[in-house]
Amino acid sequence: MVLARATKLHKTYSLGKTKVSVLRGVNLEVHEGEMLAITGASGCGKSTLLHILGALDKPDQGTVSLGGEDLFAAGTWRRDAIRNKDVGFVFQFYHLLPEFNVLENVLMPRMVGTPTLNWLSSSREAKSKATEILETVGLKDRMKHRPKELSGGERQRVAIARAIVNEPRFLLADEPTGNLDAKMGKGIMECLRGLNRNGQTIVLVTHDPHIANQADRQVRLVDGRIEA
Amino acid sequence: MYKLFLTFRYLISKWVAVFSILSVWLCVAMVLIVFSVMDGFLDNIKQHSRGLLGDIIIDNSTLQGFPYYEEFSAYLKDRLPDEIDVVTPVIYSYGILREPESSFTKPVRIVAIDFDSYCAVNNFRESLYYDRYYPDTTSLGLVQKPVAGIDMKGNSILPERLEAAHREYLKNRVEEEVDHTDIAEPNYRSPHGVGGFEQHFGLPGYEGNPLPGIIIGTDVVFSRDRKGVYNRSILDRGAEIVLTILPLTSRGTIAENPIPVAMRNIDDSRTKVYEIDKICVYVDFKLFQEYLSMGALERVDGSFTEPRASQLLVSLKDGKDYNKALPKIEEVWNDFLGTLAGNVTRYEADLLSSVGVDTWETRQQAFIQAVEKEKVLVTILFGIISVVAIVLIGVVFYMIVLQKTRDIGIIKSLGATSAGVAMIFIMYGAIIGVIGGILGILTGTTVVANINEIQAWLASWNPKLQVWSPEVYTFDRIPSVVKPLVLVAVFGMAVLTSTLGALVPALKAAWVWPVKTLRYE
Repeated sequence: MVLARATKLHKTYSLGKTKVSVLRGVNLEVHEGEMLAITGASGCGKSTLLHILGALDKPDQGTVSLGGEDLFAAGTWRRDAIRNKDVGFVFQFYHLLPEFNVLENVLMPRMVGTPTLNWLSSSREAKSKATEILETVGLKDRMKHRPKELSGGERQRVAIARAIVNEPRFLLADEPTGNLDAKMGKGIMECLRGLNRNGQTIVLVTHDPHIANQADRQVRLVDGRIEA
Repeated sequence: MYKLFLTFRYLISKWVAVFSILSVWLCVAMVLIVFSVMDGFLDNIKQHSRGLLGDIIIDNSTLQGFPYYEEFSAYLKDRLPDEIDVVTPVIYSYGILREPESSFTKPVRIVAIDFDSYCAVNNFRESLYYDRYYPDTTSLGLVQKPVAGIDMKGNSILPERLEAAHREYLKNRVEEEVDHTDIAEPNYRSPHGVGGFEQHFGLPGYEGNPLPGIIIGTDVVFSRDRKGVYNRSILDRGAEIVLTILPLTSRGTIAENPIPVAMRNIDDSRTKVYEIDKICVYVDFKLFQEYLSMGALERVDGSFTEPRASQLLVSLKDGKDYNKALPKIEEVWNDFLGTLAGNVTRYEADLLSSVGVDTWETRQQAFIQAVEKEKVLVTILFGIISVVAIVLIGVVFYMIVLQKTRDIGIIKSLGATSAGVAMIFIMYGAIIGVIGGILGILTGTTVVANINEIQAWLASWNPKLQVWSPEVYTFDRIPSVVKPLVLVAVFGMAVLTSTLGALVPALKAAWVWPVKTLRYE
């Protein structure tokens, strides 16, 4: 069953007077429960495609649907809600909030999606859920630590915990091991594979064939198009 | 929830927030102190200006004055019995004051008044010095010089009437009324520590010819030391002084040669308006009406001229609004002129035709407006300084938002709305405004409440730090008043400007696609 579908995506960046077309009519389907790896050379538009799939960026042309709902036809508020509830992101550089500790970072998507008054009654349950996830990723004893006190691998695990705390349908990972050494990268991939085994749909972007090989399916982006 | 959470976390984790609060704090305190002192100064000026004039003023702004003032006073009371309380005539002229012993001379403005009715119309009595410590001993009639003597115990004492009056003052005084800058340690020249009296080694009494009393504006003769105390011993109570006057005819020509009038210094008046106190002397109306040729003079044909006054001061009954009474009195004046039609000389008609009716406020407008303009000027100057501070706060906020650009991208990637993200920084600015505003108000009001004590403390360190010198300003203390409206306005402006300072960068940051902010370096 198709969870997400990208149709004829086009995206062009302006670099000064030069226009660079990174996506030139990309068509892609992501099936529910699969782990899909998008590969390609640096600068081929992998991350751009991932950002558009997760509504972090908009295409110049084309559509993206998630669970049958067109992301860019929806209003801004609806798109924000989809980003909060249905999509989880794991970034290459973790993108944790430095002023908050591990638990607070993991709780952030819950806080964003819960009205203030509801939060007062649901915070206990949210904290319990976040603690459970942190235990799963092996960081229960680092909950009160700030991101700067963690290693790269630990930070990425916090980012994964944050991405899945709202139980999204769609987990997007942009070079999740790109900033880590081999050992830590392996741990992260084990973590993602574990999630996938439990039914989590994952799309990850990587230029590392070893990482890509661990996915159920691979697509390669060449010259702004999916290679047949 | 995340908005509050993020706002507070950013507030407590960034030193720049402390500096922003400090800027707002100092700005608010500074503006409040300036406003309060200017408002206090303006209120004092208004209060004292009114005190000398009464509610309504009728005059023609000439030195000759205008005739039929007595008839009009009676007519006015008759026509508006429910509005008019007291009407008193005043004559203004100019003269030269000379103290025979020291040959001290000074040009003065002569204010000839009917003492009792003048005191009933305005607060003149409250401005008198000796009348406070020796109640009911000030009179513009004929007086002799009181001389202090020595009692059986060797103490300096005054004539019994003055001693009784002082006992009355001591019995009735309330602690707040005691002006410590006026009362010093008793000595031979001031038996009760008040003013200056001539001293003899004998029984107290009176000496010299009975002469008309004169009340001198305090700053005409006396000077103040740095503590604000007037040295009255340079001119004793009852000392003889000469006032030389120049009478005018109803046509404005010099009536006769200058007339020197020997008088006795009976009291001094400190209205606390320096412009008045440095030049005015107060004398008896009837006496000076004659001296200034403004009384009834016999013409060559045997008829008499009409007595003239420079001004009529009107006080209204309690609760009456002078602005509402003004048109009624104008109407009565016009009616009165109608009753005189055909019965006045050409010169009298000229003087009457230029008579106008004004409220005290209109009459003092030029003076009050000068202070008001000064207040506006100072407000603008401090407003400019505040605008600079606001711009700086805006720049600080812009830098904060810039610094947090990637955080904004992260928060948006987690599903936060643009409005939600903007709200974080708007609340951040508003909270800085509220905290800075509250601290500024507390500091400002505390400084204003203790401004004189602070100045005294500074002056005790270094006399040059005494910015408000009683030698220069006629008010003893720095006047200040904190108006609730000003408090609310200053606080509101602090919160508003801080919020606006954060608004522009917050909106700029919030309304971009998350990926752009995530890529921000």
